[in-house]
Amino acid sequence: MANSILVPINDSMTSKALIDFLVKLSVCPEDASFTLIHVFRQPTSGEELMGKKFMAEQPIRFKAELEKAKDRLVEEGGFDPERIDIQLLTDPYPSVTEGIIDCFKKGRYDMVVIGRKKMSKSEEFVRGDISIKLVRALDHTSVLVVTA
Amino acid sequence: MRRPFLDTTEFYDIDAGDEIHVGDRIFRVTGYEHERRFGSEDPKFWVKRVIDTSTNERKIIKLAFFERFTTILGGVKIHCFRSPDKESRVMELTRGNPFFMQGVTLRDSKNNNLRVIDVVRGTNLHVYLDNLLMDHQVYFYTVFPGVLSRLITSFEALKLLHDEGIRHGDIRNDHLIIEGATGNYVWIDFDYDFDTPENPFSLDLFGLGNILLYTAGKGFHELNMIRDDTDRYGNLAQSFSAEDFSIMYKSRFMNLKKIFPYIPETLNNILLHFTWGAELYYEHIDEIIDDLRRVTIH
Repeated sequence: MANSILVPINDSMTSKALIDFLVKLSVCPEDASFTLIHVFRQPTSGEELMGKKFMAEQPIRFKAELEKAKDRLVEEGGFDPERIDIQLLTDPYPSVTEGIIDCFKKGRYDMVVIGRKKMSKSEEFVRGDISIKLVRALDHTSVLVVTA
Repeated sequence: MRRPFLDTTEFYDIDAGDEIHVGDRIFRVTGYEHERRFGSEDPKFWVKRVIDTSTNERKIIKLAFFERFTTILGGVKIHCFRSPDKESRVMELTRGNPFFMQGVTLRDSKNNNLRVIDVVRGTNLHVYLDNLLMDHQVYFYTVFPGVLSRLITSFEALKLLHDEGIRHGDIRNDHLIIEGATGNYVWIDFDYDFDTPENPFSLDLFGLGNILLYTAGKGFHELNMIRDDTDRYGNLAQSFSAEDFSIMYKSRFMNLKKIFPYIPETLNNILLHFTWGAELYYEHIDEIIDDLRRVTIH
C-alpha cells in the first residue's frame, strides 16, 4: 500500500535526526512518497533585527536544506527521487504549526513525521510543542514523532 | 521655568514643571510614575504624570521607550520588548470597554508615539488582597466568590485581545485595578510583549494562573514560608512534592488544596495546570474561562 508522508523540516539537529531516522526506516521505498516542507513563520521582533539581507537569504538557505534532505533519502534510503517532492512555504504563517496543518489539509497525506527536541517542562509550557499540537489538531491521521 | 517639549525623544530630560506640546494640546508634567513591586520603587522616566491644561484633568502620558531585553523564567530564555504601537492598538481595540484603561495616541513633532491615558482610580488587586485582614477560610467563603466573578469577567475581556492575536504582555495582579467607582477590574499597561511564536499566549496564560493563585490563596505561598511557619502550614513541608509547585517559579506552591482542603477540586484543577506536575497545559484563554465557569463555592 502506498504511503504519502508529509515531513516538515528546518535546519536544526532535530531535523537531521529525523532524516537519519527516515533513511533507516524499513519500508518499501517504491511505495513511499515524501513531501519535504519548510514552513516560514512571520518573523519575531528578534528575527527582524537580523536585517533585511539575512531575511532575504532564508528561502535560498532552506531550499538547500530541503534538497540536501532529499538527496540523503535517495542516496542513503534508496527512495525514488520522483516520489520526493520539496515545498518551501514562503508565505509566512503565524506559527510553524499552522503552516504544517494548512499544508496537510491541502494535500493527501497518510502520515506526518516530525522531529522533536528534548525540552524541559517549563520550555514546553512557554514555547509550546509542535508535535503535541499536531497530534491534537490532526485527529484523522498518524503523527510520528522522532525524538532527537 | 516651564520648558516646552515638542519632541519627546529624550524623555529623561523632561521633568516636573516642563510642558509637553502635542498639536494644540499642552500637558504640564507633574512627575513620573514608579514601578512599585516587592516593597521597592523603580522610576519609570518614560511614564509622566501630567495635567491636561485645557481641562485641568490628571492624565498619564507614556512616552515612546523601546526597551528590549532577555529574561530567564523557569530556565527558559524569553525575548521581551516594549511596543508603544501595540499598546496603542489595544487602546484602539478596547475603546469604551470598561475593563480596559482608556486613552488616545498622539504623535509629537518627531512622530514619537505618546499614549495619553486616563487615570484609573482605584486599588490594584495585589494591594486590595494584601489589605484584607481575615482568616483564609472566611475570605474564601465571603470575599473570594465576588473576586472570582469579577475575575472571570476580566478574563473574558482579555479574550478580546487574544482573539485579535494581541497579548497583554505583562499580566500581574498589580496590573488589574479595582476601579473605585464601579468595582470593575480594569486591565492596565499593555506595552510589554514577548516572542513565543509557537505558543503566543503562554505567558499571558501563566499570568492569569498567577492571578488566580494569588486570589484563591489570598497571597502567594512560598517554599520558605511553608518550611518556616509550621503554625500556619502544619506538616505540609513533609508531604508536598516538586510537582505541587509552579512550573515557572519553583518555590511557589500551587496545589492549594493541600493547604486549604475546602478549595473545590474544580478550582484546584485549574491551578494544577500551571504546576510542575502538569501533563497538560492551557493554550487558549477560552479553556481557562470554561473551567472557571464550572467552579462553584459553597
